Amino acid sequence: MTMEAKTHSIDISALQRQNQSLRLEDETIALTVRDLELYYGEKRALHGINMDIPQNRVTAFIGPSGCGKSTLLRCFNRMNDLVDSCRIEGQMSLYGNNIYERGVDVADLRRRVGMVFQKPNPFPKSIYENVAYGLRIQGINKKRTIDETVEWALKSAALWDEVKDRLHESALGMSGGQQQRLVIARTIAVKPEVLLLDEPASALDPISTLKIEELINELKKDFTIVIVTHNMQQAARVSDYTAFMYMGDLIEFGVTDHLFTNPAKKQTEDYITGRYG
Amino acid sequence: MNISAKEWFKSGSPWVWLNAGAVAISIIMVIGLLGLIAVRGLSHFWPADIVQGTYTIDGQSKKVIGEIVETHEVLTEQLIEAGIKIPDDNEFSIRHLLKIGNRDVNGTDFTWALEHYFEDQTRPVMLFTAERREWGNLYGYLRSLKESGKEISHYDGYEQSPEYMAMWDELDKRVERALRIHEDILKIEKHEIGSINYELERLRLKERGLQLKHVEDPAAYEAINQRRKQLDADYEGLQQRLLDLYTEINRDSLTAEVAGGQIVEVQLAKIVRIFRPNAMGIGQKMVHYAEKLWEFVSDEPREANTEGGIFPAIFGTVMMVLLMSLLVTPFGVIAAVYLREYAKQGFITRLIRIAVNNLAGVPSIVYGVFGLGFFVYFLGGNIDDLFFQAAKPAPTFGTPGLMWASLTLALLTVPVVIVATEEGLSRIPRAVREGSLALGATKFETLMKVVLPMASPAMMTGVILAIARAAGEVAPLMLVGVVKLAPSLPLDGNYPFIHLDQKFMHLGFHIYDVGFQSPNVEAARPLVYATALLLVLVIALLNMSAIAIRNHLREKYKALEM
Repeated sequence: MTMEAKTHSIDISALQRQNQSLRLEDETIALTVRDLELYYGEKRALHGINMDIPQNRVTAFIGPSGCGKSTLLRCFNRMNDLVDSCRIEGQMSLYGNNIYERGVDVADLRRRVGMVFQKPNPFPKSIYENVAYGLRIQGINKKRTIDETVEWALKSAALWDEVKDRLHESALGMSGGQQQRLVIARTIAVKPEVLLLDEPASALDPISTLKIEELINELKKDFTIVIVTHNMQQAARVSDYTAFMYMGDLIEFGVTDHLFTNPAKKQTEDYITGRYG
Repeated sequence: MNISAKEWFKSGSPWVWLNAGAVAISIIMVIGLLGLIAVRGLSHFWPADIVQGTYTIDGQSKKVIGEIVETHEVLTEQLIEAGIKIPDDNEFSIRHLLKIGNRDVNGTDFTWALEHYFEDQTRPVMLFTAERREWGNLYGYLRSLKESGKEISHYDGYEQSPEYMAMWDELDKRVERALRIHEDILKIEKHEIGSINYELERLRLKERGLQLKHVEDPAAYEAINQRRKQLDADYEGLQQRLLDLYTEINRDSLTAEVAGGQIVEVQLAKIVRIFRPNAMGIGQKMVHYAEKLWEFVSDEPREANTEGGIFPAIFGTVMMVLLMSLLVTPFGVIAAVYLREYAKQGFITRLIRIAVNNLAGVPSIVYGVFGLGFFVYFLGGNIDDLFFQAAKPAPTFGTPGLMWASLTLALLTVPVVIVATEEGLSRIPRAVREGSLALGATKFETLMKVVLPMASPAMMTGVILAIARAAGEVAPLMLVGVVKLAPSLPLDGNYPFIHLDQKFMHLGFHIYDVGFQSPNVEAARPLVYATALLLVLVIALLNMSAIAIRNHLREKYKALEM
């Protein structure tokens, strides 16, 4: 945290964007979280979270390390199911349907709520096969459909021009930034409704980071995006709404511009001005 | 440069020397082992000169003709103590092991000869060797050539002459002809008559099966009889052709004067190869050597495995190992996937892992006993009861065979595959699994499409270790399927082509058999080395192919650098 605190200074120009008049009350809500409690064994990691995530907007989760923002993100597509000791109470719904209800098809939920991880994790297959993977899983085998979707996804991820001549080469030969965009392309190829980004740029260089941020701006037209980031400038640049979390509590949630320029809580202000260390 | 011992010790160089020394000793031992078996084994095929001389001992002298196979020095004192009269002016005496051949005349192939009594040693160019299918090598002077019992040429001298050379060339041609006919005979006997017999046996089983099922319909039996009649007719035809060929091949014979002046007649049909080592130049000898070597790896054994080749044993070994790999890989991989991916990690899985690891330490003969009791008698017996009722009381699978040997070895090697696969599975980055799950793949799909392909190099490592272990195993095989001499290969042109119920030959067992069960120890000894060398080569080759596959897979699925 000290590192960020030192380099931190809010870029005001980034905040002066068109969406000045955003109001949560006017939005269509994609995801709702109600009284969510999450335990790792005996330890309570999330304390009664309540939140509404609006459709076709970018919502950023910020907060110091270990505050539970990634844990919360991984609840949206039930990635926490993979952790044996994890237990969840409360409610979380996608367009009104509780995703933790019995009988929910987790694979289908994950198709609807895609996720991109901190480090690029392409499969050891060709670029083409990486993007086609999700489609093949769904049983789509028509070459034409797959070709079209791969092209669309790679174009949407601003990767098409760089890789169109080497679609059948291994994805492992790409640079880190390209790999991360490939992973995004792979995720959007299955046309999810929500895109979860878990610190998608933290392992990348500044230019790749910029590309990813531009991409997020583009993608929000089609997807509801939730992004976890350590970088407050990034949150300020890319998100419409921001949630500040601390020690497993949601401290403040609101329109990004508002939260950064006029935080309601003392803790939020301390964090964004770099007084936590 | 005055370094005290203490400083030298602290510098770490003794440690480096120690390590390097250990490596050096290991390498020397491996090279020494391979070198020893290579030299001992490969020199056997070299056509040594034939020596002729007079051996006089106890006042009796006899003419001796033979190859010097081995020469060493013995203490003269020792010989005298053993009752051999020999002047004691030298501390050591030289003793030769002579291969005198002509087992039909001498009763033995080898004899020991003391250099001291072995006089007038010469190497006449006229001496020739005939490798025979029976009675071992013949050494002697060619005396005449006969066709249908009538002499067509004759020569009596001991010096080479154009007349003699003409006879030799004629003999060469006729031996060539006999060999060609022999090949035809073999083809008919082995393949054509073999497949007729095979089909007749199947027909018999079919008929017996119908009887057991109480089928009354005469049409069914009629069809079988029809086919049988046809086969019998075919058989008659082949039999006639065989008779003709046998008359052809038995037409010519040669006579030779062997050591002691006796004249021996040999039919050319019984001869594999004739040559005159004393007249051969180094180039000719090398060609001869290459031919003998090729015969060794590509031909079938003769004379109780002491002559000819060991191809069936190579084939059996490779076949058994491949079959074992095919059985052990799916079995081990599936077990490992369950243990690592699905089973709840806890006390019981730990217990199972310990048990699996300990299985690898059970002596292999125990597996052999288990294989005999469980696979052969229990499983095989039940399979016979269920599916091969018609063949009873002769067992089909209820007797040791290729399948049971492969299964027993698969059981023996399954722990290695399980351990290696588990290791591989645990190394697949969590991020890659999550990436697949996050795209809506189920755990099963993730396993099949991402995890298992990425773990395939590790599985291959397991298979490599399994091959290395299985190919060298002999003890359990003796109980579950290996034999001294298998009449046919387990893979042939008769439906269903691969005969899992058949017994087979194996290089490891072959070494044991030739080395310890052979009636002709001296002849067998070099073959033990040559077979051992071949076994090592076959295992190395099998391993290298598996390693090549693994490297290919590694390149394809190289893990992410995370």
